[in-house]
Amino acid sequence: MLSERELERYDRQIMIFGREGQEKLKNSKVAVVGVGGLGSPVAYYLAAAGIGTLLLIDEQEPELSNLNRQILHWEEDVGKNPKPLSAKWKLERFNSDIKIETFVGRLTAGNIDDVLDGIDVIVDCLDNFATRFLLDDYAHRKRIPLVHGAVEGTFGQVTTIVPGLTKSLREVFGSVREKSGKFPIIGATAGVVGSIQAMEVLKLLTGIGEPLTNRLLIIDLAYNTFDVVELR
Amino acid sequence: MRMKVTVRYFARYRSIVGKSEEELEVPDGITVGELIDILKERHPVLKNEVFAEEDDLADVNVSRNGRYVRFDEVLRDGDIVAIFPPVSGG
Repeated sequence: MLSERELERYDRQIMIFGREGQEKLKNSKVAVVGVGGLGSPVAYYLAAAGIGTLLLIDEQEPELSNLNRQILHWEEDVGKNPKPLSAKWKLERFNSDIKIETFVGRLTAGNIDDVLDGIDVIVDCLDNFATRFLLDDYAHRKRIPLVHGAVEGTFGQVTTIVPGLTKSLREVFGSVREKSGKFPIIGATAGVVGSIQAMEVLKLLTGIGEPLTNRLLIIDLAYNTFDVVELR
Repeated sequence: MRMKVTVRYFARYRSIVGKSEEELEVPDGITVGELIDILKERHPVLKNEVFAEEDDLADVNVSRNGRYVRFDEVLRDGDIVAIFPPVSGG
């Protein structure tokens, strides 16, 4: 049941989701894997939307050069507070009606079943395809939706994987060559792509609209292009 | 026989080639992979900086008329082919 306070807090989106939809969000548990450029807006907006439990996963501490985009981390966190804990501190003060769980460490084939146990939707906010494919395999094994996002410079891509309904991430991006080292990125790019990923989660959980299943959204904010490619 | 295809460049490719799309006359019935070879000849900058060495096409994603396709798919007159680089940052 939603409290009086929650009914007031979420009033403007209950106009869209209905009380029933808002209850669904409250009863959901979403994993944000990677609490960096994408993970920051994703976690922030999912917390704002009232997702009952957020699980934040990352093994790093923020660096000064992360702050142009990783807006959940502040100067005081640099080199000190692991990203999930840094984000938890803010999100708990932002919305005290939700629960923030954390896992500080790297997801591996050995721990993924324990760490992601009970998750309803996984949000891929990672920076490498090796770990993405680990998430992809898990999502298919457990039949859990996976919202993929990735960014570079002014470009971004989003697609939603639903086991049994869509291709796997591996089928779409199986031959991607991993780049190593620093890539250029503008914070606002991650903000746009992360916001779209958060929207995907809300659509999946409440049933409104059409998620980006079997479709890949490709954006280039330098040239104002938003294109959707059919993946079927 | 020749046919016309429109090639659209996305993201990094657009910046490197310097335009968002162009119409090309190509041999009838070529595959996506053969079109990519033509593009590499036409825009050496793609060959050198974007596509992997030794003709490895691994890092290119291609759509034909808005649908994601593999490199062995055969093209037809009037097709719109988009090439885009997958990005991986987070």
